[in-house]
Amino acid sequence: MATAGKKEKRVLWIISIPMAILALSCVYPVYFALNNALKDNRGYILDRFGLVQNPTFDNFVQAWTRSNLDTYFLNSVVTTVGAVALLLVVSSLAGFALAVLRFPMRRLIFIVILASLMIPVQVVLVPFYQTIIGLGLLNTRTGLIISYTAFFLPFSVYLMTSFYAGLPRELVEAARIDGAKLIQVWWYVMVPMGRPALITLGILNTLYCWNDVLISLLVLQDQRTLMVGIAALRGEYTTNVPLLSAGIVLAAAPIVILYIIFQRQIVSGIAVGAVKG
Amino acid sequence: MAQIELKDVRKSYGATDVIHGISLEIEQGEFVVFVGPSGCGKSTLLRMIAGLEEISDGDLEIGGKRMNDEEPSDRGVAMVFQSYALYPHMSVADNMSFGLRMTGRPKDEIAEKVSRAASILQLEELLARKPAQLSGGQRQRVAIGRAIVRNPDVFLFDEPLSNLDAELRVQMRVEIAKLHNTLANTMIYVTHDQTEAMTLADRIVVLRAGIVEQVGTPLELYENPDNAFVAGFIGSPRMNFARAKVTGPRAIEVAGVAIALPDLATELATGTEVSFGIRPEHLHAETGVELPITVDVAEQLGSTTYVHGTLATGEVVIAERRGTAPRPRDTVLLHFDPRHARLFDADGMRIR
Ligand SMILES: Nc1ncnc2c1ncn2[C@@H]1O[C@H](COP(=O)(O)OP(=O)(O)O)[C@@H](O)[C@H]1O
Ligand SMILES: [Mg+2]
Repeated sequence: MATAGKKEKRVLWIISIPMAILALSCVYPVYFALNNALKDNRGYILDRFGLVQNPTFDNFVQAWTRSNLDTYFLNSVVTTVGAVALLLVVSSLAGFALAVLRFPMRRLIFIVILASLMIPVQVVLVPFYQTIIGLGLLNTRTGLIISYTAFFLPFSVYLMTSFYAGLPRELVEAARIDGAKLIQVWWYVMVPMGRPALITLGILNTLYCWNDVLISLLVLQDQRTLMVGIAALRGEYTTNVPLLSAGIVLAAAPIVILYIIFQRQIVSGIAVGAVKG
Repeated sequence: MAQIELKDVRKSYGATDVIHGISLEIEQGEFVVFVGPSGCGKSTLLRMIAGLEEISDGDLEIGGKRMNDEEPSDRGVAMVFQSYALYPHMSVADNMSFGLRMTGRPKDEIAEKVSRAASILQLEELLARKPAQLSGGQRQRVAIGRAIVRNPDVFLFDEPLSNLDAELRVQMRVEIAKLHNTLANTMIYVTHDQTEAMTLADRIVVLRAGIVEQVGTPLELYENPDNAFVAGFIGSPRMNFARAKVTGPRAIEVAGVAIALPDLATELATGTEVSFGIRPEHLHAETGVELPITVDVAEQLGSTTYVHGTLATGEVVIAERRGTAPRPRDTVLLHFDPRHARLFDADGMRIR
C-alpha cells in the first residue's frame, strides 16, 4: 500500500486513536515506576506526578540490602531457571512421544493434557497444598520448581506436540532407518528442529515463573521469591512508593533484558502456537 | 534364492484394506520399479519393506530371514524419500554421516565413507553447506549419499525425482541408473511416472488399487500387456482404445473398418463386443489396415508429430507421424500392421 487513498487514510487515523490510547496506558506505568524510583519519599509526597528533581539511587540500595530483595532475587532465579529447564526437557520429550511415536491411548493422553489446560490453578490449590506438605516439599526450592513445572507443563506439552506434529514425519523415519535410537532421534533431530518452539516456551515460562506470586506464596512461605517480596514492601497503612517502585524496576529488569536479547525469536515464536495439532 | 520375498503381504488401516495380498520375489542386484497411479499403495508397500509401516498380514523375508517384526535399522535397507528428509540444522557431511555416527562407527571409517560417497555423487565442494544452501538436485544427491554411506543390501527410493523440474529429472534418472551399475545393490524404486519405470527398471511391478496388475521387464509389459490397464499405463502417449465388434473368429470391425487378426490364438465369439487397442507409434505404417480419422490438432515435436483425431464413431485417437503435419479437420488415412493390435475383453483382460 504505497499510496493510501483518502478514505483509507481517514480509516487509518480513526484506528490510530484507540491504538495511541492503548500504547499510552502501557507506557505510563513504566514511566511512573522509573520516575518515582528515583525520588526520595519526601519528594514523592510533595510531587507525585512531576518529573524527578534530585535523582537518587538510595531506594535501589535499600530495597536490595535492607529489604532482603537480594535473597529473594536468588530464590527467583534458582526456581525460574530450574523450572524452565525442567519444563523444556519434559515438554519436548512428551511432545516428541505424542506427536511422532505410536503407542496405545496416545490420543486419550493428549486429550487429558488438553483438558488439564482448562483447569485454573485456584481450583486445585487445596489438594495441591496438601500434596506439597505430604511430600515434604514445603519451603524448599525443589518443591517450587516441581510445582511450577506441574502447573505450566500442560500448555508446554500441548505447544511442543503441535509443533512437532507439523514437522515432516520423514525426518524421524530417516533417522530410524539409519539406526538412530529413540533418545538419539530426540536429541539430534527433535531438539534442534524444535528450537523456535522451545525458545518461545522458554520465554513464556520464564515470564510465568518469574511473575508468579500465588504458587510461590504457598510453597516457599518462609523464604519468598522476588515478586512476593515486592508485594510485602507494601505496608498495611502506608506504603513507601519510591521504595516499591525501585523494587518493581529491579524485578522487571531481568525480563526486559531477556526480551531485548530474544526480541526476534519472540515475534517469530508467537506464530508457533498456530501450528496444527 | 530371492533376496526379498513378499508372501501374500497385506495392509489395512482399520477397516480399509490398502494392499490386498501381494506376492513378489526380488533377486539380488535387481532394479525393481513399483509403478502405478497415485494412491495405489506403492509407498505403503515400500514402507512395509522398510519397516516404517506394520505389515497387517503375510510375510516379508529379506536374505531368507523373516523381517516382519524387525526394526527398520536391522533390515539392511536404506531409503531415499521424496521430500529428501535432510536435517536442516546439519551440514551436508553431517547429514551423510548421520547413520554411521548414531551407530558409533570409528571416525576415520566415517570420513572415508563420506568422502567416497561424495566423490561418486560429485558433492565434494558442498560438504560444509547446509541443505538450505543447495539446489533441489543437489539435495537429492545428498539424500542418495546418505543412503550410500551405509552400504545397505537394499536401496529403497520413494518417488525421489518428483520434486525436481523436468530437465533435472532426466539427468538424475541417468545418474541413478549409473549408480545402480556402479554399486550393483538391489534397488526398489517407487514412481507414478511410467517413463522413469521404463528407463530404469530391470523389472516393473504395475500396481493398481493395492493389487499387482502385472510383473515383467519393461519390454514385456510394453509388448505383451496382460490387461487394458497395463496397456494404457505403460507407453507414452498412451495406447489408443476403441470399441470393436467381433465379425468372425479372427475378425473384428472398428468404426466401420474390417480388421483381420490371423495371429490370434483365441477364437472370438461373433457378435460380442471387445476393446481394440493400438499404440500411437504403430499408426504410422505405410501399408496395412487403413483407418480414417478426422484431425483435431497436430502437435509438432520436431522429429515426430502427434496427430490427435477422432474416428467415425467419435472415439479419440492419437497417432505418431513423420513428415508434414496434417491440418485440423483434414481427413487422414492411418495405416497399421494388425499384429500390433491388442484385444481386451469386457473386463479389460487381454485376449491373446
Ligand atoms: N495412515 C493412513 N491411514 C489411512 N489410509 C492411508 C494411510 N496412509 C495411506 N493411506 C491410503 O492408502 C492408499 C495408498 O497410499 P500410498 O501408498 O501413499 O499410495 P501411493 O504411494 O501409491 O500414491 C491411499 O488410498 C491412501 O489414502
Ligand atoms: Mg507415494
